[in-house]
Amino acid sequence: MIILRTRLDGAALVALMSLVLATVSCQVIAQNEEFFGKTTPPARNILRYINGDEPESLDPPISSGQPEARIFIALYEGLVEYDPKTLEPVPAIAERWDVNNDSSEYVFHLRHDARWSNGDPIGADDFVYSFRRSLSPQLASRNAYLAYYIKYGQAYNEGAVFVRDLQTGQFLLERDFANSDQNIPESLSQKSLADGQPEYKSSQPAQETAFHKFMHSPARLTLPGSEKARNKLLEGNTKLQTAVTGKQFVPVSGEDIGIEAVDPYTVRLSLSQPAPYFSGLLAHQLFRVVPRKVIEKYGEHWTEASHIVTSGAFKVKAWRPYSELVVERNPFYWDAANVKLEEIHFYTTQDNPTAMNLYKVGEADAVLNHTVPNPWLDVVRSKKDYMDGAEATIVYILINVTKPPMNDLRVRRAFNMAIDKVTYSLSRRITKPLSAFTPEGIFAGYPQPKGEPFNPEQARRLLGEAGFPVTQKADGSFECPKFPLDEVEYVFNTQSSNRTMAEFFQAQWKQNLGITVPLRSMEFRTFLNVRAKLEYKGFAQGIWGADYMDPFTFLNLFSTPTGDNGSGWWDQRYSDMLNEANRTLDKQRRYELMAKAEKFLLDAQPIIPIETSATNWVKKPYVKGMYPNAGSLFPWKFVYIERDPAKWDYGVPAMAD
Amino acid sequence: MLSFIIRRLLITIPTILVVITITWVLIRLAPGNFYSGEKRIPPAIEKNIREKYGLDKPWYQQYGKTMAGILRLDFGTSLKYEGQSVNAIIARSLPVSATIGILAYLLALVVGISVGSIAALKQNSKWDYASMALAMVGISVPNFVLGPILVLIFSLTLYWLPPSRWAGFPSRNLILPVLTLSAIYMAYIARLTRAGMLEVLRSDYIRTARSKGLSEKDVVVRHGLRGGLLPVVSYTGPALAFLLTGTVVVERIFALPGLGNYFIQASLNRDEPLIIGIVAFIAITLLVMNLLVDIAYAYLDPRIRY
Repeated sequence: MIILRTRLDGAALVALMSLVLATVSCQVIAQNEEFFGKTTPPARNILRYINGDEPESLDPPISSGQPEARIFIALYEGLVEYDPKTLEPVPAIAERWDVNNDSSEYVFHLRHDARWSNGDPIGADDFVYSFRRSLSPQLASRNAYLAYYIKYGQAYNEGAVFVRDLQTGQFLLERDFANSDQNIPESLSQKSLADGQPEYKSSQPAQETAFHKFMHSPARLTLPGSEKARNKLLEGNTKLQTAVTGKQFVPVSGEDIGIEAVDPYTVRLSLSQPAPYFSGLLAHQLFRVVPRKVIEKYGEHWTEASHIVTSGAFKVKAWRPYSELVVERNPFYWDAANVKLEEIHFYTTQDNPTAMNLYKVGEADAVLNHTVPNPWLDVVRSKKDYMDGAEATIVYILINVTKPPMNDLRVRRAFNMAIDKVTYSLSRRITKPLSAFTPEGIFAGYPQPKGEPFNPEQARRLLGEAGFPVTQKADGSFECPKFPLDEVEYVFNTQSSNRTMAEFFQAQWKQNLGITVPLRSMEFRTFLNVRAKLEYKGFAQGIWGADYMDPFTFLNLFSTPTGDNGSGWWDQRYSDMLNEANRTLDKQRRYELMAKAEKFLLDAQPIIPIETSATNWVKKPYVKGMYPNAGSLFPWKFVYIERDPAKWDYGVPAMAD
Repeated sequence: MLSFIIRRLLITIPTILVVITITWVLIRLAPGNFYSGEKRIPPAIEKNIREKYGLDKPWYQQYGKTMAGILRLDFGTSLKYEGQSVNAIIARSLPVSATIGILAYLLALVVGISVGSIAALKQNSKWDYASMALAMVGISVPNFVLGPILVLIFSLTLYWLPPSRWAGFPSRNLILPVLTLSAIYMAYIARLTRAGMLEVLRSDYIRTARSKGLSEKDVVVRHGLRGGLLPVVSYTGPALAFLLTGTVVVERIFALPGLGNYFIQASLNRDEPLIIGIVAFIAITLLVMNLLVDIAYAYLDPRIRY
């Protein structure tokens, strides 16, 4: 009896609580407001931004994440800055720049009024220091590979050595030992200046120097710095071994890399290959300018709030780790008059509902990308402060083309045509279906080719042609008895969302081809290794985010057989097409050449495109100058608080100029 | 008594070294690295990183370095958060966790003991059933459910209280996390108090106290509570140790820069010095709290002597 009565009380309580909850949630859903939550602008010109993970460090080349990248945009400036809408490079500390005739050399002309947050001037030497530091092996930056285009940059970062003949003082040259089958034409930046070939359209933009001549001399041979790795390399190459014997190994130093202060306000960059996208890469944190004096004085503690000196529109006011980073306007910034925000508060929050709660009650003005939780979408997406845009990240399936049956193009095409990507994206709710290898809706003017659409009938026909006939059973389902099931699998890295995705593909292939591909998940690093070394059979999950805003950042994956390729597919013709595109100065012509290469890739089908990611975040209507761009990176100097509701953003602000 | 304390403290040292060694091994067994991110890192860059942090050294050198640091009570520098010392991180995040934890436990003690005593004194009454039913709910509803419900009601709907973030002490931001955190302890303490009190109130020495004519108030407060709270005291040691060193869920939901948040993130980041520092700190706190409980026992229960 006692137990029963207690239970009754408990039941009544539970009933009461559910009633309260139901009332509250009804109230939340029933709010038919234009925006999600409060829209009272803050009293001062302060932006409170939910930035996601705790920043690893305030030292730009050290951290690689997006939250840090956003902070670095506020604190440090580079030669160029991101355009707030397109993320293309716009002038920053460099007022303008010249590019040579095959995009292998850049000359940047710096403004004379750029200053550090302590008032000291910023000049060409500061950039030389910052670039060398970012590439130094001692700093061990994870992003250093982005600067490998700079001549000898990779050699320096990898701790490589030059080989010098002690008698003649001459260095051994790369071209004397290169494989004869690779005939990549020499870039202009490598050709001898004595050739007299015009390098720039107009006259030479900067004066001649001894260093420039060094850059323009034929590339020196570089060998691994560690004796073990070097001997291993020499073992298999007798010609090299004989040539190296008795020679001196000279470590590649920071002074050897292709950056030069021609005069106090001119920086010249020499690349080892044509790279028309390189100016876009220069807005990356790896290339933002850092204060030499402070770093040399305080070592790794230079980023502490009491020491730090910055070069951007903002400087550090207070840093409360795991809570917030407060930055305030830098009065010495060259364009300070046009910086409208007094402060930005970057909040650390890893929990998406927590971020959305702060936003709704008006304690935050904008949140980072991917923050609106899936169950909230129905409510939030209909509001006018929801920021929907395509993101420069694609999801795809890699195919190991080196093993049967996937070495047959017809089989690969069949598996591509058997996945309904439109339905998949609808189920994911925010992403867009993808039929190519570059994200859709980001590169304006890029004539993106299309891969083959969803077509289960043709897929079955193709499989039949390849020797695996698909038959229909009495109940209407399909089967493919001849298909070697133990020769395929789908591997992905352990994470529940990845499993959901894998199960969708598995179901599609089962439904449309009658083939049940086994799934195998593994820990992330193991997965990366298995993929890079082609130790999987059949299919592997792929995801790639842009390093810079150019289709090449995606297409480049397949320009070498190693690295992030992961499919085993490689074709000299494809690499040649990309090389030709990158030598072309005219932007539209270059885009057409790249699109041709992309079509070539899609036809070979080493990949199955799946989806383009979407930004999925919210900002208050009074926050202006912030756009749902493809990288969720915001040049904060253009952001401001608008107090006149007539000028607010009602919906996604116009992204086209 | 003094020799007991010294003996206990001496046992603490090897215990902590064992805990740290196990942690050290487990970190090495766990897949992944502090520097692995979304993209593959080129092998040469990985080599640079491993050299910079001494990960290319043989394991006994790495282990020796870690242990030597710990014996000097210097836990080293975080791998993930460049240039931040583990000691500084703990010193900075402990006050946050401790503030929330102590407030929550004080609230739990006050409410729990009062409710539990009333329930025991009025056994089988409406009060008893109602409070014990509520306690049952408190124990059954996990804080990751209770927290969001409180936020939904008091922040998102009524706009009375801030939904999250740390704003120092005292501030209105503390109310919701403290309530969320204390609910389960409140419920537990209420049940422990009730059970303890029921047992004590039936014992002979209470009957003696009553028969010698003491007022009911004196019987309950001076004799009853002293014995009836013993279970609560033994519960307080580990509970307070965990509360002090941070509660992952509540700190996450309310975005508090506390020790628990760092701990979970350090584990996800494979940030070895930080993980080891926090584990060592939690272990020390736990052992010290248990020692304090044993001392308190001797004071509260005249039968216990060390």
